[in-house]
Amino acid sequence: MTSKTIKLTSPHFNDIEIGAGKDLVLIAGPCAIETRDHSMRMAEMIGQVCDKLGVRWIFKACYDKDCRSSPASFHGLGLHEGLQILSDVRDAHGVPVTSDFSDPSWGAATGEVCDMVQVPAYLCRQTSMLRAAAETGKPIHLKKGQFMSPWNMKNSCRKLEAFGNDQILLTDRGTFFGYNMLVNDMRCFPIMQETGYPVCYDATHSIQLPTSMGNISGGQREYIPHLTRAAAACGIEALFMEVHDDPPNALSDANTVLDFKYFEVVLAQAKAMHEMRQELREKWGEDNVHPE
Amino acid sequence: MSIQNNSGVTVADVMLGLEICPVASERVIVKEVLESMDEHRLGVVCITDDEGKLSGILTEGDMRRVLLRVQKPLAALMADDVGMHAMASPKTTQPDTLLADAVTMMGNLRVWDLPVVDAENKLVGLLHLHQAIMGFMSR
Repeated sequence: MTSKTIKLTSPHFNDIEIGAGKDLVLIAGPCAIETRDHSMRMAEMIGQVCDKLGVRWIFKACYDKDCRSSPASFHGLGLHEGLQILSDVRDAHGVPVTSDFSDPSWGAATGEVCDMVQVPAYLCRQTSMLRAAAETGKPIHLKKGQFMSPWNMKNSCRKLEAFGNDQILLTDRGTFFGYNMLVNDMRCFPIMQETGYPVCYDATHSIQLPTSMGNISGGQREYIPHLTRAAAACGIEALFMEVHDDPPNALSDANTVLDFKYFEVVLAQAKAMHEMRQELREKWGEDNVHPE
Repeated sequence: MSIQNNSGVTVADVMLGLEICPVASERVIVKEVLESMDEHRLGVVCITDDEGKLSGILTEGDMRRVLLRVQKPLAALMADDVGMHAMASPKTTQPDTLLADAVTMMGNLRVWDLPVVDAENKLVGLLHLHQAIMGFMSR
């Protein structure tokens, strides 16, 4: 299986490559763009830790949270104001930026600003969304739907390829295990790698308890460290985490975002596990236990 | 097994054209290949590359052995690329081969079908035992 490397390129930052044999890349930020100042502050804080640990990273925050359970929940700043803030974050911090988009008509504008575009898990098989993502020409961060099997993600990859884009990062963010509960099937990673595309672990949405609190989601973030280490040991090429400096007052995903005070220790361990996995691969080769 | 060659009939005279054979690229999923075999009422699919060259075949017998051997869920198997399970470098015959020689070969191999390829290994048809027998009977 040929393993593809995806590349983020811009005059604003040095190229970032995500793929087999490359350093672990982090995608991180608050779930939603809350204010311009907050986004700037989180980029500064996350960037300092990443610089300290030597981790290349991509700032992630969304301008529109279209999958909230309640109409009263924070929906986001909207397309134009949100994208302007993302652009400002990149200019100020020299870091690539990304956001998801939830409507095909938002794809072009999102792709003009963002260095990578994200397709939400709930929309991961929608043809119109995949076409819009592909047509941005930017690398695509495609999350595996909680309802999807890892082998069926190949269908969405084939759609993106058919629409002219083969710069794809596949992410596991948990799989429904009955109602209001997610589990991580760590087989997701090698199975999705069979597509030839690099894979990523979403450490914070994976511990979500979807809509477990009536009209908002809960979460068990005490398990973030365990699951992150396990995913890194499985051979992920990127790690996704939503990080917030004040989770109780976060405007989105307050029950799952990682408190910034734990960020460094989780990332440092993920990086160490990733490097160990690389060393083991060099020493013992690729996993080759035959299935039959 | 051998068949006396007294007819002069060649493979090209009786082979099935590509328009009525299951043919797929390596990246077509198993489910679609099985549907194609069913639609064409043939127990074999020929696998070709981008240039139309034969790269493998998958027969009903191969599929039977896959089902007995593979432990993954059926839904995962159905989503596999057919190239994962096809037999590479299958036995073939050529259009100008005498039908008697090709049928003798099928008997020795105990197969019902032989892909027919040209000098560049490009798939041009399929020799199926029913048509081969009818070819003999009609002479």
